[in-house]
Amino acid sequence: MAADVHNKSAPWEVQNGSLVPVERLRFDRSDSPTPGLVEGTEPGAGQERAMFVHAQSFEDLTAESEAQAEEKSEKDLVLEEPREEAKEDEGEEGRDEDAVKEEEESQRGVRAKEEDITSEAWRDHRKHVFVLSEAGKPIYSRYGTEEALSSTMGVMMALVSFVEAERNIIRSIHADGYRVVFLHKSPLVLVGVSKTAQSDRELTRELQYVYYQIVSLLTLTQLNHVFQHKQNYDLRRLLAGSEHLTDNLLRLLDRDPGLLLSAVMCLPLSSSARDVVSSSLQAAKAKSLVFSILIAGNRLVTLVRKKDQFLHHMDLHLLFNLVNSSSSFREGEGWTPVCLPKFNTAGFFHAHISYVEPASDLCLILVSTDREDFFNLSDCKRRFLERLRKRSAYQVLQEALRAPTYSVSQVGIPELRHFVYKSKSSGLYTSPELPVPYQSVEEQERLMGLYQSLHSCLHHPTRPLRSIYRCGEMENLFAWVTSGFELYLCFSPLGTKALAVSAVNKLLKWIRKEEDRLFILNPQTY
Amino acid sequence: MTAMKVDAKVVMLGKESVGKTSLVERYVHHRFLVGPYQNTIGAAFVAKSITIGDKVVTLGIWDTAGSERYEAMSRIYYRGARAAIVCYDLTDSSSFQRARFWVKELQNCEEHCKIYLCGTKNDLIEEDRSLRQVDYHDVQDFADEIGAQHFETSSKTGNNVDGLFQKVAEDYSNSAFELMPEEKGVDLGQKKDSYFYACCHH
Ligand SMILES: Nc1nc2c(ncn2[C@@H]2O[C@H](COP(=O)(O)OP(=O)(O)OP(=O)(O)O)[C@@H](O)[C@H]2O)c(=O)[nH]1
Ligand SMILES: [Mg+2]
Repeated sequence: MAADVHNKSAPWEVQNGSLVPVERLRFDRSDSPTPGLVEGTEPGAGQERAMFVHAQSFEDLTAESEAQAEEKSEKDLVLEEPREEAKEDEGEEGRDEDAVKEEEESQRGVRAKEEDITSEAWRDHRKHVFVLSEAGKPIYSRYGTEEALSSTMGVMMALVSFVEAERNIIRSIHADGYRVVFLHKSPLVLVGVSKTAQSDRELTRELQYVYYQIVSLLTLTQLNHVFQHKQNYDLRRLLAGSEHLTDNLLRLLDRDPGLLLSAVMCLPLSSSARDVVSSSLQAAKAKSLVFSILIAGNRLVTLVRKKDQFLHHMDLHLLFNLVNSSSSFREGEGWTPVCLPKFNTAGFFHAHISYVEPASDLCLILVSTDREDFFNLSDCKRRFLERLRKRSAYQVLQEALRAPTYSVSQVGIPELRHFVYKSKSSGLYTSPELPVPYQSVEEQERLMGLYQSLHSCLHHPTRPLRSIYRCGEMENLFAWVTSGFELYLCFSPLGTKALAVSAVNKLLKWIRKEEDRLFILNPQTY
Repeated sequence: MTAMKVDAKVVMLGKESVGKTSLVERYVHHRFLVGPYQNTIGAAFVAKSITIGDKVVTLGIWDTAGSERYEAMSRIYYRGARAAIVCYDLTDSSSFQRARFWVKELQNCEEHCKIYLCGTKNDLIEEDRSLRQVDYHDVQDFADEIGAQHFETSSKTGNNVDGLFQKVAEDYSNSAFELMPEEKGVDLGQKKDSYFYACCHH
């Protein structure tokens, strides 16, 4: 059944089958990783097949809108040292013909409404996101009430339909330091207004996330159904109470490297303890179960899946977001319909969601296909806990929860401030806690912005790069992508390129040494 | 540790933010959570044992979400329920309209389910009588007409909350032998081939 779902949208699955070595044993792994690692042998790669749908960092999300407006060529070359600010000039040429820009109009369009919304402060937000129906009805606004913005949204819809009437597609408008990005995914229209340095491609990717967030609450089938019956339906009726999910998702997009890299971070845990947790989950199975997921805050402890069923990281991030944005699941055992849009936009799964203990961070998500199966799953949870306690893994787990992160100083590279390492074949990443200079929200988002910009250069649709070194006033950055991993490093501004290059080798060795703890090497299935 | 045996399924129904979760919190955990309102997602299940005479009755309480988004699947939450606590906010007349909707739904689909109408947030009325938007006697008349019980509660002060659930458990205990056995909850044999179920709303 669902295998087809994936094959349609994920041609890389086939490829994955041949790339990932089967039945590799731990002692077969090379001790020191060599550059140009083959996928599946990089530090953090799982022993068997990955848990996730195999996704290239970017492509899967934007695949549908890949006929994307091309960025004007950028200055970064392989291992060159352009200044931080040497970004693309706001060149108008070189865009796709169908990427229409109407400078003045957009600015007026947005500005004219501003008196309605609490003015200055409202205008000052770095990134606005609006969702509207094709009839121009407001559905969501990140800031300000939808009512107050209904005429603004009307204008947006007018723009979209004006351009589409000519069989063109409006992608973005650039003016006065702002980018307005449009994403039309029938029956919804999403608009992002940003004054950040992000590219259209990245903003579009974020809008896609918001779109899937809405689909995960309603299913696409229901969305279409509702608007087929009544074109000017007020979707806020069905979305009532879910605004904070989208708000929180947008915050994550600004701060969490996992959403950028399409990867998930694990709770550091000794592999023996993790194996016990996984096998306890595996043993507590039920017929209708598809995924059993144990999380701690925004970290994955383990994931057990039905054979042949893969979860997409985006769906997992949506589940993380669902659990972490609400205290609702603390009240008892939650039982809720949830659509995993990357799995199937047409139907609901039912998720049994509950914390392991009232005050614990550990939350168990049991994803089932049968909406009648609540008590059966409740029993799975009970059996899982029973096993866990019997084998005293529970204590180890509790201890691990007290140290959910690690300091970069453990790596022993003095100039290294922070890094993000993604193992491509496992879809997992690791990253130390943010060091002092990046602990405020602004600085955290700034650092993420830097990583984002590197990411976007590495994954440039027409001129992808393998590595970039960038010097800035506040820090030096190095990014490197191979077929096996993706790595972003942040150094103090005193570092040199030579130092960065040697640091990479040292870091990869360290990750290899720690991979048992930082990654899930033994993913289980039932 | 064994699975708790649930005697009676009780479902909380009513418009969003009328205070269903707060009622359950008060009854089960004896507390009232202040802070920003957190709407329930889907539904939450909690079991609570209560002693009636010399018997222990375990209520399995389903606290459903009021959002219209979940209306299409509300049946799975109230099916086989022995009692439904249909809540409305005493300070919001529209919430009583919604309560009427749930009553009708229950009458059509769950004839064995006893209905308890519960006006919530009584403390607000005590503080300021002008806030009342739902008349006590109107509801009493409606309750008589449909054969329902009628309560007014406050989860903030705890007023009448235990009384409400006590009554639910007593009624169950008294009628336990008259009615058919409790629905099992799980039916593994069914729906084997339907991996998903359709989700059309209207
Ligand atoms: N003053 C007062 N406020 C209450 C009382 N009960 C609930 N509230 C408030 O009403 C709001 C909604 O309460 P909830 O219990 O979450 O409402 P709900 O019916 O569960 O809402 P949904 O889960 O969305 O269906 C919260 O802000 C509560 O603090 C009460 O007895 N007195
Ligand atoms: Mg609630």
